[in-house]
Amino acid sequence: MGQHNIMVKICVGTACFVQGGADLLLYEDFLDPSLLRICTIEGTSCLHCCKTDDQQLRAPFVEINGVVHANVTPKRLIELLREAQHA
Amino acid sequence: MNEIFIDVDYNQTYKAGQKISGDVFLQSRDPVSQQIVCTLSDGLGSGVKANVLANLTANMAHKLSFSPMHLTKSAKIIMNTLPVCNERKISYSTFTIADIRPNLDKTVTVQLIEYDNPRVLHFSHSAVIDIVAQEIELHREGAFKHEIIRQSTFSMAQGGRLIMFTDGVTQSGMGRSLPLGWRQAGVVEFITNILQKDPHISSRELAELITRKASTLDGLAAKDDITCAVIYVRKPRKTLIVTGPPFTKERDAQLGERMRNFDGKKIVSGGTTAQIVARLFQTKVKVDLSCWSPQVPPASKMAGIDLVTEGMLTLGKVATALENKTSIYAMPDDAVRRFVMLLLDSDHVSFIVGTKINEAHQDPSIPVEIGIRRTIVGRVRQALEQNYLKETVLEYI
Ligand code: FES
Repeated sequence: MGQHNIMVKICVGTACFVQGGADLLLYEDFLDPSLLRICTIEGTSCLHCCKTDDQQLRAPFVEINGVVHANVTPKRLIELLREAQHA
Repeated sequence: MNEIFIDVDYNQTYKAGQKISGDVFLQSRDPVSQQIVCTLSDGLGSGVKANVLANLTANMAHKLSFSPMHLTKSAKIIMNTLPVCNERKISYSTFTIADIRPNLDKTVTVQLIEYDNPRVLHFSHSAVIDIVAQEIELHREGAFKHEIIRQSTFSMAQGGRLIMFTDGVTQSGMGRSLPLGWRQAGVVEFITNILQKDPHISSRELAELITRKASTLDGLAAKDDITCAVIYVRKPRKTLIVTGPPFTKERDAQLGERMRNFDGKKIVSGGTTAQIVARLFQTKVKVDLSCWSPQVPPASKMAGIDLVTEGMLTLGKVATALENKTSIYAMPDDAVRRFVMLLLDSDHVSFIVGTKINEAHQDPSIPVEIGIRRTIVGRVRQALEQNYLKETVLEYI
């Protein structure tokens, strides 16, 4: 049995929104209904991860069950949620 | 800022089958003295000829009422200038002129000139008030009938309305549902009912309800042009926009105080600013994922605040929409649209712009951001003032 409630917070701060966050908000279009059913998805204001100089940690950021992930694309979001599901 | 606002609007239905109106309503506002002149004119007949007559009349009346010339003289000039109708050998166009000037004590002084339109109605809240007028006979040479002008001067306070209309309103329904038409008394009763139910109805909505009722009485095929204009003296509707964190933490409380005391709608623009305001008001910001578009980040909800938006992108788009006078019907339902709707619905807009420079982690991009914020707010203000005649004030915190 996998996890039943995955808490997802998509950053909708300016930096994240313009660097791909807007695409993530279309989650209903690219997430599998079975996956959607077990996720609680919300928007959040700036997670304050966008202000570091670390090139590896780029916007957009998404927090999944309390862990912040960088460089999240729709494809990456699906992977991350699958991982969380089977964690 | 002025403590009264004069809301002027009108509505019109053309005579069935006509593509142009024989009734013309004009209004202008002197930006310095705030004097307002409104003219309603009904040209003889209908269609293009009536429209030309009415337009000429309204424009002349309008120009002359800004001049120091005596009003009876102006009326004679107007009537002598009108072209003569070929069939009827008369030149004829009715008119109503209202000259409205704000006083220092939250009242306005109205000077009214009426020639052959149905009588103007004066309401104070939902009660109709008699207009005591002086009648002046023109004695114009070659006039085809007695020409009497009604002239009156009176004052109106907050909650006062002037309602003017053409005979398309009072004669609606004639020969159909009502043998003598709707008549003045019927119109008064209709308006009284509306004002009792909806005391703060806007001029636009009231004028529309009146013309719609008249055209319904005509069986939805107006027998004449139907025009109604409303002038409403009321408290200004105010909106406060807060954007950017205050210069120092100590000023946060000051910002909270200002917001709490503000009597009007409140908009918070900017993620960090929203967090500060939420803390001050001991509440939470909740992102509203139902309200966004690919160009504009989602709006958020916060108790006590009418609209919470992202900062720079949203404000920039609001500025562009106001500059281009983009119709709200042409916008997606996102934060920009809601922002613009709130602004268009207000008469006075106040900005409080935060000027905090160094965040804890010394972000070098922040001073640039403040410059951009100032520029964008400047654009929004300018567009509101120039394109929409709104009053604005700006304050840095
Ligand atoms: S805008 Fe997303 S972390 Fe700052």
